[in-house]
Amino acid sequence: MDLVRHLRYFTVVAEELHFGNAAIRLGMAQPPLSQRIKRLEEELGVRLFDRSARQVRLTEAGRLLVGEAREIVARADRLRELVRHGEGRTLKLGVPPDLAAAVIAALVEGFRANNPDVRLTPAEIWTADQVAALTEGAIDVGIVRHPISAPGLRFGQVLVQPQGVLLAEGDPLAVAGEVHLADLAGRELLMPPKEGEPGLHAATLAECRRHGYVPAQVHQGAGLGLVLAGAAVAFGARMDHPGIVWRPLLGSPISSRVSTAWRVETDAVAGFSAVAVRTLKESAGMTDEAAAPVRHISRRPGMLA
Amino acid sequence: MNEPDLAALFGAAGVTGWLHATDLRSGREIGLGSDEPLPTASMFKVPLMVEFCRQTDAGLLDPASRVTVGAADRVTGPTGLCAMLDDVTISLRDLGHLMITLSDNTAADALLARVGREEVNAMLDGFGLRETRVRQSCRDIYESMAEDAGHGWPYLDPEDVARLRVLDPPRANSATPRETTTLFGLIWRDQAASAESCAWMRNVLNLQVWPHRLASGFPYDDVEVSGKTGTLPTLRNEAGVIEYPDGGQYAVAVFTRSVSTALNQPRADAVIGTAARMAVDHLRR
Repeated sequence: MDLVRHLRYFTVVAEELHFGNAAIRLGMAQPPLSQRIKRLEEELGVRLFDRSARQVRLTEAGRLLVGEAREIVARADRLRELVRHGEGRTLKLGVPPDLAAAVIAALVEGFRANNPDVRLTPAEIWTADQVAALTEGAIDVGIVRHPISAPGLRFGQVLVQPQGVLLAEGDPLAVAGEVHLADLAGRELLMPPKEGEPGLHAATLAECRRHGYVPAQVHQGAGLGLVLAGAAVAFGARMDHPGIVWRPLLGSPISSRVSTAWRVETDAVAGFSAVAVRTLKESAGMTDEAAAPVRHISRRPGMLA
Repeated sequence: MNEPDLAALFGAAGVTGWLHATDLRSGREIGLGSDEPLPTASMFKVPLMVEFCRQTDAGLLDPASRVTVGAADRVTGPTGLCAMLDDVTISLRDLGHLMITLSDNTAADALLARVGREEVNAMLDGFGLRETRVRQSCRDIYESMAEDAGHGWPYLDPEDVARLRVLDPPRANSATPRETTTLFGLIWRDQAASAESCAWMRNVLNLQVWPHRLASGFPYDDVEVSGKTGTLPTLRNEAGVIEYPDGGQYAVAVFTRSVSTALNQPRADAVIGTAARMAVDHLRR
């Protein structure tokens, strides 16, 4: 068995004390995770978790092992890191597949200008899969969407961008200067995949519900075909696309919040993180995260009559 | 950006419409017949409220002083004191509250009797609002309609309606759309009276109960609509201020006259909101 890999699984379960949550963090299904923990227990000849209570608990042996296991996992990572440095220095980057092409290009170009001797290899990966990839060392740094829960990862400065709505140009709402979420009633919504962007999904749909928009159906995908066809609307940054109209959302209720994320900080990661903040501000119109404005609720007397 | 076709919008709802809207921060404006003197109906209660506040600011009236409104004071009307059966003792400022939030005619006349018609007009002169006039109390309005038509409410015959003085600007309570948004701007900028009084006026206007006109154009939890309606046979008006979540403030005055004399015309009420929304949307582009 690959002991380091099994110890990595063990440390994550030990942090979460929940096999389901740990599996999500590791980007895998729960049954194989449980199986691997069982194999590790067989290998070591002790039970590491007490699964009898309502909540999973570390056994005494598990508690003794967890510190050592972390140490071993960190050393193994460091080893890989060193090897990677030796082999010509690449920085593996994850970006959400729906990040604008021009922004990805600007990120690569900006990083190259500042770090000519490091090769940046970007891959399109949704946030949840980036968390797993960062944990496993498959990528070095990512651009992830918030809200996100991923213990063990570190995040750069969070940047925000108010989102507008993308409509088919024949949509009656396209004639208005701006659109309120409540105006979207009756329209289906296109969003990135829920499994890939669970935080974005939950936050966006909650905000829609609060503002009077409950989409009859939420489609999942990254292309804009459904919007173009008039079958759904989508939220996004201002864009020009034939047949599609972008309108700001009244009150700016929907925001995209992103940051860089990494697990092992290296010079290249720190360099990329700084370039990313600058590029996202300049090329993608993102701004520093400000305190969320207090939402004003009208007192129209009919609401209490 | 081309201006929206407001005339076509009003026409499709079976009314003739006049409108003025202004961005209270930038001064940008949009209008249709903005300077036309038009009958205001119950919207005259807004300048009456302003002058009431100025007299309380000046110490001439005590806003908390109580008056008793009895049977002889009761004026025709569907709401508030008009519809009650027994004497009511109430403070002057609470009369003002009923007059604005429910368009209570009895409360308005009780207040007008203490504030004075000429005082209201002198205040309007002082602000340069020379087309905005208060000529009739609520009782005058109802009595003149009965005289002109030769019978009491309802007034559904187009020939009766054509004779009504209350619909003839030089003889009725009147204003222009632009002067109306100007007056609302003064209230929103703390210039109509003391800051404290203006805050009270904004609060009362915000608590107006009617949802079918201006407010219907902004059916959102996070947009505030404060205003005052005015209604007479074939006449449906509302003026007020729309406040957006980003702090934008827009004074809007919409005056309409329907071709039909039918009393229930939801489309004619709703077009006031739709037109206001289009105007504000235009000002925000």
